[in-house]
Amino acid sequence: MSGTHPRNGFWLDPRTKLFLILICVLSAMCAPSLVYQFALVVLVALLGACFGKWRYVVKGVCFYALVCVLTVWIMAELSGTLRTMFIAFLGLFHKVYACGMLAGIILTTTRVNEFLSAMHRLRAPKKLVIPLAVMLRYMPTIQEDWRYIKDAMRMRDVSPTPRGFLAHPAMCIECIYVPLLMAASKAADELSIAAITRGIENPQPRTCLVQIRCGARDWVAMAAAVAFLIVENGVRGGMIG
Amino acid sequence: MTTQARSKNLTVKDLVTTGIFTALLFVFILVGGMFFATNPVLTFFMPAGSGLLAGPIYLLLIAKVQKRWSLTIMGVIIGIIWFVTGMHWAFALGYMLMAIVADLVAGLGRYQSKRLNSLSYMLFCLGGTGTYLVFFADPAGWAQTMLGNGTEQSYIDTMQASASTGILVAMFVAVIVTSAISAFVGCKMLKKQFEKAGITA
Repeated sequence: MSGTHPRNGFWLDPRTKLFLILICVLSAMCAPSLVYQFALVVLVALLGACFGKWRYVVKGVCFYALVCVLTVWIMAELSGTLRTMFIAFLGLFHKVYACGMLAGIILTTTRVNEFLSAMHRLRAPKKLVIPLAVMLRYMPTIQEDWRYIKDAMRMRDVSPTPRGFLAHPAMCIECIYVPLLMAASKAADELSIAAITRGIENPQPRTCLVQIRCGARDWVAMAAAVAFLIVENGVRGGMIG
Repeated sequence: MTTQARSKNLTVKDLVTTGIFTALLFVFILVGGMFFATNPVLTFFMPAGSGLLAGPIYLLLIAKVQKRWSLTIMGVIIGIIWFVTGMHWAFALGYMLMAIVADLVAGLGRYQSKRLNSLSYMLFCLGGTGTYLVFFADPAGWAQTMLGNGTEQSYIDTMQASASTGILVAMFVAVIVTSAISAFVGCKMLKKQFEKAGITA
């Protein structure tokens, strides 16, 4: 996995990425002990390093190491209800952390058009792909709208803060929801007109400028992930049986 | 009649509407749940927190599309996004399954009965409890990763004595209460703002 070209960078097929996430979730689920969870995080970090995200990776691993130390300490020191609470919380945390880190890497390195193309190759039904694409596209718009709404609320002397909410709850709720929902339904009309104009109802298969291919790197990454899962399960089986 | 209703498939406009409202719904669920999820003592009330905000959006989506499968698509997409962003698998699966159930329930009233729509929202919110159900079903397996293979008996005892039923019931009640409030506010808002403006289809 050392073939990082400085020009086009490290590139993986979106399908491979989806597969990696699936394996990562399974591995996190079956991990027999903290050591393996940590190994999983390190593997994810290696992948991130291949993508050239050094800062993200170093931060992620350091934070996870801290949490692991904290976990060991809590297991040894605390007792009673508080301990139960922490076990529930940390259990979720450990199961989610590796996958969350992988997802962070993948989301920042995949473009929407590549993703859609891959979904199409996977023969995902159009009814699912269209809303998914629209949703991903609309996320940043919500953020933008929210900024305008906050400004407008200030202008009308409604404070968009928790304190303002407590003072005039009904007013505050209306001022947030109504413009957001109005904007959303207007955007829905406009987007569907635009999409039809650009031929979304065309029954022909979709084409994409970026070629989606499974290369050697993809196979190596997938093989590494599967190998880790098998080793993990082997250890687990050996310990139980 | 039924064949005619079935041939009335989801149009592109319905799909786009579903997509946009799914985005809003996702953001509101996330914002509502964020505070609780990062807090070890309150983590069980995360589904309740996420149910508090999204009601009006959910109800407006039903009012705008009024066809079968729209809610299911919404739930499946939210499930996929949860899964891809690395949330626990039971959380994603819970939302998917409950969205299908919610779709059926709202369909009983042909997507027009306010009561059934509110009920379907409450059912949808219960999907968020999936992770915690896994936790309660097998607390020993949950903690195994941290404690190593030898899960001590005292831990299992504590778990069964202090946590199990009390928190589980509290969690469900909290989800139902918050989502009911949210659906109530949503109904009021639909009537006051959107029906008059002709936004609902």
